[in-house]
Amino acid sequence: MWEQFIEDVPRFFGFWNLMFLGQALLNTLLLSYLGAAFGFALGFCLAIGRHPRLYGIAPLRLLATAYVEVFRRIPFLVKLMCVFFAFQLSGAQASLFTVALVTVVLSAAAFAAEIARAGIESVPAPQWDAAEAMNFSRWQMLSRIIAPQSWRVVVPPLFGYAVGFIKSTSIASQIGVMELTYAAKILNTRGFSALLCFGTILVVYFLICWPTKRFGEHLETRLGQRPQA
Amino acid sequence: MGYDLIYSQVTGHVPYLLGGALLTLQLATISFLVGWAIGLFNASILHFGPHPARLAVQGYVTFFINTPLLVQIFFIFFVLPDAGVLLSPYAAVAIGMSLNAGAYLTEIQRAGFQSLRREEMDAATAMGFSVPQMIWYVVMPHIAKTLYPPLSNQFIIQVMTTSIAAIFAVEELTGRAYNVNSLTFRSMEVFSIVAVIYVVLTLACSLALAVLGRWLFRVKARIV
Repeated sequence: MWEQFIEDVPRFFGFWNLMFLGQALLNTLLLSYLGAAFGFALGFCLAIGRHPRLYGIAPLRLLATAYVEVFRRIPFLVKLMCVFFAFQLSGAQASLFTVALVTVVLSAAAFAAEIARAGIESVPAPQWDAAEAMNFSRWQMLSRIIAPQSWRVVVPPLFGYAVGFIKSTSIASQIGVMELTYAAKILNTRGFSALLCFGTILVVYFLICWPTKRFGEHLETRLGQRPQA
Repeated sequence: MGYDLIYSQVTGHVPYLLGGALLTLQLATISFLVGWAIGLFNASILHFGPHPARLAVQGYVTFFINTPLLVQIFFIFFVLPDAGVLLSPYAAVAIGMSLNAGAYLTEIQRAGFQSLRREEMDAATAMGFSVPQMIWYVVMPHIAKTLYPPLSNQFIIQVMTTSIAAIFAVEELTGRAYNVNSLTFRSMEVFSIVAVIYVVLTLACSLALAVLGRWLFRVKARIV
């Protein structure tokens, strides 16, 4: 194993291979960060649509709750397959990247909706009552009272979930999205030692995920120290 | 392009898929139990162990939490044979998932160790308990009760994670879905049914765990 490993190293880290891996890394980053950003935005909308004192009218609430409960209980791979075949059936000419991105967005939204709900509920009831007594509109209530007080609770855990989505994007290699895991599989098929291919991307994944997670933890202690408004 | 969803061609395969769900539960249970044991061992090292051992455990946890499970299993499945360890797909997936769950369960149970009251440990020391006795008689009952909700949550996560086994041709729920798909070519129908089975399966597990928790430790867990 080690002889092949040492023999492969100079060839593996040649210019074209590094370009290839760099492209794959870019795709992984785009897929996970872009997907998480869109998904979190959608999730916040869901949480607002779910809350009875904000925009929660009954049918919307039911839909949002069903969405959140169902999508958190389906594995990423199955979701990916459903989205993949749904695109195929609709006849839309979507790239594989788009399919994977939509899947990440759909799952990120479900998880973010739960976090945002916890954040909204962390605002004490008297604040809501006061806002209503002052005749604030729903939008004013949300933007001036609820959001400024709940973002400290909502933002730090999002980074933990973002790490989860970086890791989930490795599953997108199953439909042939050119991201890190798929790149490693291709290089392995080309004859490079498995230890080198998979070892390298394990390190690369670690180098993306770990700082993201640490940043979330840093924010958590940082925002937790401040006095609550 | 029009496409009609025809479920009648797939409904006959539902019992076969449900058989796969049993394997899913089996894999989830094995990996959860092994991971739980790893987690308990690691958490006690973090609490009682010497400095180098603590560093090693922290390294293990950080590494496994920050890399994708799929790549970890790829590593076990494709690299270990080069070193002379040949594993069946089922074994590779079970080992990978156990190690991965072990990292998360270390994190969870570490919090349990930290939430122990100092007096309880002091009392145990005063009574002359050895470290294993302390873990078994003082820490364990405490963890089982206070950590029941996060632990059962981790089990649900394990159930969903098993779908990765399909990539290694293990015939659990998703793996069997691939098989039915290649038999019938009713892809959308197959995978939507499988999605529903996963939702029902995890809901049933949550319910069962909540009932069990209430019966064993009087824990009031939220199901949905």
